[in-house]
Amino acid sequence: MKNPDAIVIGAGVVGACTALSLANAGIRVLVIDRGPVASGTTGAGEGNILVSDKEPSPELTLAIRSRDAWFEIDTDIGGGFELEAKGGVVVSRITKGISDLKKLASLQKENGVETIELDASTLQEAEPFISKDVNYGVLYPGDAQCQPMLAAAQIIRAVKKRGGQFIQGENVIKINSNSGSVVGLTTDKNTYSTPIVINATGTWAGEVAKLAGSYLPIMPRRGYILVTSPAPKFINHKVYDADYVANVASGEADLQSSAVIEGTASGTILIGASRERVGFKNDLNIAILRQLARQAISLFPVLTNIQLLRAYRGFRPYAPDHLPVIGEDANVLGLWHAAGHEGAGIGLAPATGELITAQITGNVPFMDPMPFSPKRFKGGEHVAV
Amino acid sequence: MHNVVIVGGGPAGLSAALAAAAAGAPVLLIDSNSRLGGQYWRNSVDELENQNEQHFDLATGLLLINAVKARKEIEVWSEAQIWSATNDEGKNTLRVIHQGKEKIVNTANLILCTGAYDRTLPFPGWDIPGVMTPGGVQSLLKGHGVLAGKQVVVAGTGPFLLPVAAGVIKAGGEVVSLIEANKSRRWVSSFIVILENLSKIKEAFYYIKTISRGKVRAQFGYAVIAAHAADNGELESVDIAKINRNFKVKKVKNIKCDVAAIGWGFTADTSLAGSLGCKQVVAKDESVVVWVDSEQQTNIPGVFAAGEITGIGGSDLSMAEGVIAGIAAAKFVGCKVDISKAHRKRRAKRQRFANALIKAYPIKTGWQLWPNDQTTICRCEEVSLGDLKFSVEELGATDSRTAKLFTRCGMGLCQGRICGRSVVDLVAKELNVLPTDIDRISAVNRPIITPIPLGVLAQGE
Repeated sequence: MKNPDAIVIGAGVVGACTALSLANAGIRVLVIDRGPVASGTTGAGEGNILVSDKEPSPELTLAIRSRDAWFEIDTDIGGGFELEAKGGVVVSRITKGISDLKKLASLQKENGVETIELDASTLQEAEPFISKDVNYGVLYPGDAQCQPMLAAAQIIRAVKKRGGQFIQGENVIKINSNSGSVVGLTTDKNTYSTPIVINATGTWAGEVAKLAGSYLPIMPRRGYILVTSPAPKFINHKVYDADYVANVASGEADLQSSAVIEGTASGTILIGASRERVGFKNDLNIAILRQLARQAISLFPVLTNIQLLRAYRGFRPYAPDHLPVIGEDANVLGLWHAAGHEGAGIGLAPATGELITAQITGNVPFMDPMPFSPKRFKGGEHVAV
Repeated sequence: MHNVVIVGGGPAGLSAALAAAAAGAPVLLIDSNSRLGGQYWRNSVDELENQNEQHFDLATGLLLINAVKARKEIEVWSEAQIWSATNDEGKNTLRVIHQGKEKIVNTANLILCTGAYDRTLPFPGWDIPGVMTPGGVQSLLKGHGVLAGKQVVVAGTGPFLLPVAAGVIKAGGEVVSLIEANKSRRWVSSFIVILENLSKIKEAFYYIKTISRGKVRAQFGYAVIAAHAADNGELESVDIAKINRNFKVKKVKNIKCDVAAIGWGFTADTSLAGSLGCKQVVAKDESVVVWVDSEQQTNIPGVFAAGEITGIGGSDLSMAEGVIAGIAAAKFVGCKVDISKAHRKRRAKRQRFANALIKAYPIKTGWQLWPNDQTTICRCEEVSLGDLKFSVEELGATDSRTAKLFTRCGMGLCQGRICGRSVVDLVAKELNVLPTDIDRISAVNRPIITPIPLGVLAQGE
């Protein structure tokens, strides 16, 4: 396909979902990635599809739509990526944390998120192995999980069946434009003509914006996940400490971590989540592994004797205001960005694709896309829109 | 503070420890087994002298083990597992679980002698209880005095099949069949190497004598390509095929047995070296090994490696390398010693024999046609060949790493130690390409070297 209607750069979950959405709208789409499917941040993710970790905001609206869109995609393409509506349980043990969590949950409820308050006894019912000193939690039945690598691969597979194409192993070196409008792109191997390029390169989106002579402030935030040996299922939901919500919103560079624990279809238990700004540094930080283990055990003492099998790290893409970047570039017409989802890329991917597609095809999007517009960053500055 | 830290208590590690200590360097020897000797001189709690039966040369092993125990400069940590190792600007940190606690060892001078384990190839039924590796059968005999079965088929390729078959016979078992995939005439081209390594031939005849006493007929150019279970789920019989030079199946017959010991040479265990950042290369037998210079030093100054992890070559080569590594490491910490010409000559001679072995016992790609779509490839995560094919054909995996992410192949308890090599080969076959060195080396990357209980991890600093 030398002259596609649109080219998506990046075959992570955001690129895949955007391509599917475009293909479903009848657009001939080509997906290009320098590596295989899910070889960036998607391949290092837990597969979180969360409505619980966002305060009422445009991002929550995006998350709620996206969560439903995941189940629609599951039906649409025939599954195969371990999507599970497992529900999330958020807990807190400190007075301040509990009152904040209560407040957050009631606000979320007003905004359409299903929340169920848990006291000591209902919490023990929901999570029988949770530490006895945890007396308060909120159950979010809407929280879900998938296997993100499989999700990206299955969606790309569907895109191909619907007339799209996927080319891997080509590195985009230039996005070509003429009088401020995209006319195509050049890789290290080929040149393609197209009026529309969608930059879905996650943590590397800033570099790709540069290839079009534009600017996008996306930076990496490193995170670790611990994987244990398979165990009988004793953790029923995604369980996390309320501190996690504060960490997600935090702007501090120092290491932050708070327990996020869940079982998977394969029996292994995943333990997150750490956040640190160390660029793309790829060394193994043992101190973080220990801290994650400590926090996990304090929530589930039974984990003490479970064995750590693997640890992996990834780089979340984040913008200075911690909001995703979804929309047309400020300087180059026909260049669209779908990036900067920080730790929520898996969850927010389908709705991101819908927002992009609606705007490209001139349809009314399900929500006002303005808060996510790349136009909020101008000339290296961060301006509020 | 120890001057030289050695990991592994087999032929290479013991030799290195003695050489370093003799040169005047205090040694800490860290070993994962409960008893020194490694896999080669694996022994049980019985009086060592009574275990001669299962060994060709236990005397040498005992000599080394007792010498190590006797030397005050050598401290031994047995049953110690290194779960993580990192190198940070010349300082190597080993995180060791020993006596239920985590201990941190910092050292600039390290000798890695982590050995090798059996290589397995997947075929229909290879996961049935009763199908074992020759190393597994032998360690039951040597370590526990237990005979794995009464009617044993010993199969695969390589000289290691001989001691295993002999061991079964000595322990009172019947070797129903001894099956070598390669033809013996592959040795002809290595005539001179045989002459200079007559002791190895003596060892081979020592086993063959026992084997012929057991009236075992050895068959060359055959392989076990399927195993069948009885109603109780245990092994009942195996399919033995006449194979051609490339291991393609020609004719199949079925024979009864209760244990099949099947091994295809060895795979070096380079996880620890890899974690430290030692350069790894792909050897002639396609196994990933640690690169070393003529003094057994890796690309990291002060970190040495000896024995099977630098290339599969047997116990004699391991000892020769261990001695050189021990001397070189002692020299590195300031001891006034040097590697003699005799040491180098001995190593070179053993190396030529090891090279001849690799030439004589190749593993040809025909084995990749033995498994079918239902055959389990990754036993830990129960991933079949069909699953792997699906990840390539439908999900678009273009390398073994991506196929692994899609299927969890090699992500289970053994971290791909059993299936890793096969997965690299099988994915490449599906893609119609040859595996690259990067594919092979990335398949052995294990930042968590051995599993560690979260409770122990949490307590560490």
